[in-house]
Amino acid sequence: MDLPVAIIILFIVVIVAMLAIYLIATIVELLKINAGLDQVLDKVGEIATKTAPVNGVLDAVNATLVAGRNLLEGLFYQKAGPDAAGLVESAFPGEGPRFLQRVGKSGTVVPIGEDYPRGAAILNSLLGVAPAPAAPAAAPAAASGPAESVRQGGRITLRGKSAPSSSATVADPPSEPGRLSARGSRPWER
Amino acid sequence: MAILWVMVIVLGVTIPVLAMLLKGVLGAARSITPTVGAISGVAAAASSDLDAVIALVTTQNYISQVVAGLANYGGSLAVALPDA
Repeated sequence: MDLPVAIIILFIVVIVAMLAIYLIATIVELLKINAGLDQVLDKVGEIATKTAPVNGVLDAVNATLVAGRNLLEGLFYQKAGPDAAGLVESAFPGEGPRFLQRVGKSGTVVPIGEDYPRGAAILNSLLGVAPAPAAPAAAPAAASGPAESVRQGGRITLRGKSAPSSSATVADPPSEPGRLSARGSRPWER
Repeated sequence: MAILWVMVIVLGVTIPVLAMLLKGVLGAARSITPTVGAISGVAAAASSDLDAVIALVTTQNYISQVVAGLANYGGSLAVALPDA
């Protein structure tokens, strides 16, 4: 046998052996990948199963919340009239125009401020208490909470206030009779 | 005879090139395996994290009750308070 022929045969054997070794190793790795992907597929299937009802539940929750919001906003507009948007704007800046849009009204929203004398007068008349004192700053700070303050007569305010506490501290803002608080961090901002 | 030596040279060049290519393919396949394992672990963790999703049904029920209570409260307010 000639030398070149022998070398060619040797090279061919080497090539075939190399192909066999590497391809078999590659096949083994691909089989491992396939098994791993099967596991992933099972877990993804579990995830899909567990998240399947989320859309329906959230849609139902949103629909319920929107219905409740519309009901309360309609009631608010019915009771407060044109003041409603201003009160909303005072409590939650930027929400007034959207509130008007939701209740189907239009117009310019003017923030009323933190006090709502008309509401205080209505509540005071319903509760049979005296009207608000003329100087809120000089009002006694004995109120233990908004409800108690309303019973004592006074103003309705949108200014934020912490939960009612029986022990007032120096750091607390001066409590004023008749203060009802609607301002403060919203639940989703906490 | 010359053509045989040419074939020897060609095959001699082919072997390292082929070896390099096959090694690259094998290396790529081997690099996928741990990634798939990691994805499987993350998917298992994500699946277990979603165990609490079923509680959304309870939340939905609570929200319905809360909104119903609000509606009742609003009805009382509608009667108690004068219209604007």
